Amino acid sequence: MEGMEIEGKTIDEAIEKACNEFQVPREKLNIEIISEGTPGFLGLGSKKARIRAALLMIDMTLDTPFDRLAAKIMTPEPVVRQAVAALEWETAQAPPIEEERRIAAPVARSQPTTDPADGEPSAEKARMILEGLLKRMQIESPVTVQETGEAIILNIQGDGSGLLIGKRGQNLDAIQYFVNKAAHHSTNGHKMIIIDTEEYRKRREESLVALAMRLGEKVKKTKKPVTVGQMNAHDRRIIHLAMQNDETLTTKSRGEGEYRKIVIMPVRRGPDHSA
Amino acid sequence: MKELIKYMAQALVDKPDMVAVSEIVGEQTSVIELRVAKEDLGKVIGKQGRTAKAMRTILSAASTKIRKRTVLEIIE
Repeated sequence: MEGMEIEGKTIDEAIEKACNEFQVPREKLNIEIISEGTPGFLGLGSKKARIRAALLMIDMTLDTPFDRLAAKIMTPEPVVRQAVAALEWETAQAPPIEEERRIAAPVARSQPTTDPADGEPSAEKARMILEGLLKRMQIESPVTVQETGEAIILNIQGDGSGLLIGKRGQNLDAIQYFVNKAAHHSTNGHKMIIIDTEEYRKRREESLVALAMRLGEKVKKTKKPVTVGQMNAHDRRIIHLAMQNDETLTTKSRGEGEYRKIVIMPVRRGPDHSA
Repeated sequence: MKELIKYMAQALVDKPDMVAVSEIVGEQTSVIELRVAKEDLGKVIGKQGRTAKAMRTILSAASTKIRKRTVLEIIE
């Protein structure tokens, strides 16, 4: 994959630059944070944020041929782009005119039977559970389904209020937990259902990786372990994975249940596996 | 709000027709009482109260939208 290093005052700015560079919406880029910028003090000691950006090709197989087409008809407005990205998987084969109509009315989601992407009844079931829930929460947002080998991804087109996300994603996590429970209630399937809105999962992962990197630097400097606050299993996993490649650091989880925390510590003398 | 809790509870239990929900409406705060079949109690509470917590989180998110507070009580 061809990557490109981009600098910016902040990570957000760098990501924005990357989007302009590649002429694609943000969700089409694979972004790796190399270093976080520091504002410095009175203009001294400031460091620019560096990221490596590459086009994302793997996750949505349907939209690769569609990409160029989309770039032509797409207006530069990010809102429209987001809608397009969310809809691409189901409309990949549709002619451009059809496409525009759909952009104008993203609510016009297809009936269960016309969905080319999911033949699995459980994906449909999960969507119905989620839509039923949203309706009763008086949130009228369209849901799109995407299915991969091991997960069903339900994307709620958010209204940008952040109500669906909540503090640290707690609302989104609660909805996800409930939908998983309800969908697996009568079936024995173990496919994970992931619920996302407004690219939250991706954003969260980026900020967690950035946090891990920052704390990793601190640990290296002070040679003392650092504890990161309470996190759920998924968030901890992101941090573990982010630190995995660094041989001078090791990570551990401590505590039980909800209070489980993650500890980043320096490796003492060679690879060790003890606490 | 009542409908929301009923929907969630019925999706989780084995005996959906045994789910009963009542709402005590207050000016600012409402209390929703949920009753389920005895053998389903564990299903709505969950391991370490995780399911109950998720229901409460969803409930409070929905209440925020209508600028109210709602408390969920699971009655044994």
